[in-house]
Amino acid sequence: MKFKHIIGLLGAAAISVGLAGHASAQQTIKIGAVFPLSGNAASAGNHAKAAIETAVEIINNAHPELGNFPLAKDAGLAGLGGAKVEVVYADNQGSPATGQNQTLRLITEEKVVALTGAYQSGITLTASAIAEKYGIPFVNGESVAANLTERGFKWFFRVTPVASDFAKIYVDFLKDMKAGGAKIDTVALVHDNTEYGTSVASVVTSVFKDSGLATPLDVAYAANATDVQSQVLQLKEKKPDVVIMVTYTSDAILYSKTMQALDYKPPMIIADDSGYSDPSFIKAVGKISQGVFNRSSWSVGPKGSPTALIAEMYKKNSGDEMDDTAARQMQGFFVLCEAINRAGSTDPAKIQAALKATDLKPDQLMIGYKGVKFDDKGQNVLAAGVIIQLQDGENYVAVWPKGSAEKPPVMPYKGW
Amino acid sequence: MRRWLWPSVALALVIAYPLLFSTPFQQRLGALVLLYAIAASAWNIVGGYAGQVSVGHVVFFGCGAYAAMGAYSHFALSPLVGIPIGIVVSVAIAAVVGVPTLRLSGHYFSMATIAVAELVRLIVTNTDYLGAGVGLSGPTVPRNLFDLSFISALPYYYLFLAILVTTLGITWWMTNSRMGFYLRAIRDSERAARSLGAPASRTKLYAFMLSAGLTSVAGALYAMMFGFVDPESGLGILISVKMLIMAALGGAGLLFGPLVGAAILVPLEEISNNVLGGKGAGLTFVLYGAIIVLIARFQPGGILTPIMRLWSRRGKAPEIPVATGASHAP
Repeated sequence: MKFKHIIGLLGAAAISVGLAGHASAQQTIKIGAVFPLSGNAASAGNHAKAAIETAVEIINNAHPELGNFPLAKDAGLAGLGGAKVEVVYADNQGSPATGQNQTLRLITEEKVVALTGAYQSGITLTASAIAEKYGIPFVNGESVAANLTERGFKWFFRVTPVASDFAKIYVDFLKDMKAGGAKIDTVALVHDNTEYGTSVASVVTSVFKDSGLATPLDVAYAANATDVQSQVLQLKEKKPDVVIMVTYTSDAILYSKTMQALDYKPPMIIADDSGYSDPSFIKAVGKISQGVFNRSSWSVGPKGSPTALIAEMYKKNSGDEMDDTAARQMQGFFVLCEAINRAGSTDPAKIQAALKATDLKPDQLMIGYKGVKFDDKGQNVLAAGVIIQLQDGENYVAVWPKGSAEKPPVMPYKGW
Repeated sequence: MRRWLWPSVALALVIAYPLLFSTPFQQRLGALVLLYAIAASAWNIVGGYAGQVSVGHVVFFGCGAYAAMGAYSHFALSPLVGIPIGIVVSVAIAAVVGVPTLRLSGHYFSMATIAVAELVRLIVTNTDYLGAGVGLSGPTVPRNLFDLSFISALPYYYLFLAILVTTLGITWWMTNSRMGFYLRAIRDSERAARSLGAPASRTKLYAFMLSAGLTSVAGALYAMMFGFVDPESGLGILISVKMLIMAALGGAGLLFGPLVGAAILVPLEEISNNVLGGKGAGLTFVLYGAIIVLIARFQPGGILTPIMRLWSRRGKAPEIPVATGASHAP
C-alpha cells in the first residue's frame, strides 16, 4: 500500500510538472532568469526581476528615444523578424541546490534558449554548471566571485567587473588625481576579515604594486566591530594621503562616527562600494561623511539621457531608485538579448558564437563600462566603473572619468 | 508468500520510476527524494528510534559534503574518496559531541546540538582551507567516471537507491538486534530501561555515531550531485530541520517513515516552487508550511502510522513500533 501511495503522489507530481511546461507561442524567444525571489536575498532578487522586466519592456516595444541603445528602436528582436522576448523567472530560494534544480527545469521543461542569473556567486556556480552540461548560454551580470570564470566553461559569460577591475579603476583615478595636484604617496587599506574584505584587499594590494603605486598599509579588523578606535588612531598616526575602505554597512557607519569623535580627516577616502553604497549608510552618517569617494558602474546621468529614462522606467516597475547591482543585472540581460538578435537564431550554439563575437561600445551600454567584449574565459575585459562622490552628504554624483562625470571631484575630504 | 507481494511490487515500481517518468526534471526529482530519504533515514536512527531529537545533524551532512569536495579541490581525487573520510570525521565528532550532550534530555539535547551545528558553521566560514565564505566546488566537467558528474539524473537515482536500501537494511538489522530493543526501551522510559540494566548511555552513543556516519554519506552524495558546498548549503540549520520534518511527517521511528516523508515533501517543495516561485511573492513556503501544519494537526504520528495500524489489524505485520517522533519535535 505505502509504496503505491508514493508512486501515486510522484505520478501526480510529475504530470503537473509536465502540464506546466507546455505553453509556448510562436515568435517568442524564451529566456530563463534564476534569482533569489524568496529567502535572505529576496529584496535583491525582486529588484533584479524588476530590472529585467524593464529591459523586456524596452526590447519588446519601440523606444526610439533611447537613441543608439541596441534593441530599443524597434519592437522585438529585429534579427528574428521582430520576435518578442519572454522571460521565465525561477526562484532559487537562496540555495545552490534549488538554483540548479530550477535551471534544469528551465532548460528541459521550459525550453529556454539562454539563461541569466543567479545573484549569489555560489548559486551562479551551480546553476551555470548545469547550463554548461546542457550547452545553453548563461550570461551573468552581477556575481563577482573570481572562480566563476576559472572553470574552463564554454557557455558562461560574465559582463560585470570583478575585484581586479575595481582595483585598476582606483589606480587610474589616483593617477589622474595626482596629475591634478593631489598627493597620493601613502595609501592605507582598511578592510574587514571576511571573504569579501580579505580578497578585495589582496587584489588591491597586488594591483597597486604592479602599477608602481605605493604598497598600501594594511589595516585589518574583525567584521561587525563594536569599536574601531585603535584602527582610526593608527591611521591618525600614520597620516596616509589616501584611505581605502573595504567594509560592510554597520562597520562603515562606525568608522564615520569614530573618525568624527577622534577628529580625524584623511585628505581622501575611497570606499569599495558595499557598505558605503547602502542607503542606510547615507541616512545614518552621510552628513558626517561628505566628500567620500565610492565606486559604481551605474550613474543616472543628466535628465532626458537614455540612462535617466531607463532609471525612470525601472523606478516605475520596482518602486525604488536604480542601484548599481540592478543596473549591472539589466546590462547583462541586454548583452544576452543583443547576442541573440545578432545570432538571428534560437540555436544555443549560434547564440554562444554571437556572445563570443560581442563587441559593444560605451554608447551602446546603459552602464559605465568601456564596452563589452569577452575573453576566452567568458569574462568581459572592458568592464569598468566610475568613481562617485558623496558631495552633499545625501546623493552620490559621478565625478570620474571626465566623460561620465556630472561634477568635478572635490578635494580634500570634508567630513562634517 | 502474499506477505512479499506488495513489498516486491513497490520495489519494482521504485526501480522502474525513472523509466516511467523519464524527463530530466522528473528523474532528478526522483533522485532528490531518495537523497533526502537517505538523510532523513539516517536521522531517524537517533531521532526516531532512540528518541533523541538532534537538530545538529547538518554537522555530519556537512562533513560528508566538505570531505567529498575537499578531496577533489585540494587533492584532485575523486569525490568518492571523501565518503570514507567524511564517515570517519563525523563518527569522531559524534563520539566527542555525543558523550556530554546525550546526557541531556529532551529539549536540552536539541538545543545543544543546534549550538554545536552553528559553531561548526562559523568555524568553517572562517577557515580558508575549507573555502571560507566562498565554499568548495567539485568537478563540473568530469575527468572520468569516478568523478560522478553526470548530465542525466539516472545514474544518481540508482546510486542513491542502492545506498538508501543499504541504509534501510542497516536500520532494519539494528531494530531487530539487541541494540534496537535497548533503544526502544530507552525511548519509552530511560529510567526504566536503566533500572533493568540496559546500558543507556552507551547505546544512545552508538546510535548517534551510526546515524552520523550515514548522514555524512548523504552529505557527500548531495555535494557530488550539485558539485558545490558552502557554509549555508552544507551547514545551514535548515538542512537539519528538513531531515527532522521529513522523518516526523512520514513517521519517526518507523523504517519507511522518512522515505514517505521525503516522497511527499521533496516533490511538494519543488513543484510549488515551479508553479509559484517565479511570481516572486514567496508563496512557495506559505503552501509548503500550510501542508505541514495540516498533517501535523490531523496526523501527528506521521502519515505512515494509520496505515501501519490498518496493516497490523489485518494480521500481516507482527510488530508496530509506536511512532512518537512528532511529539518530540520542537
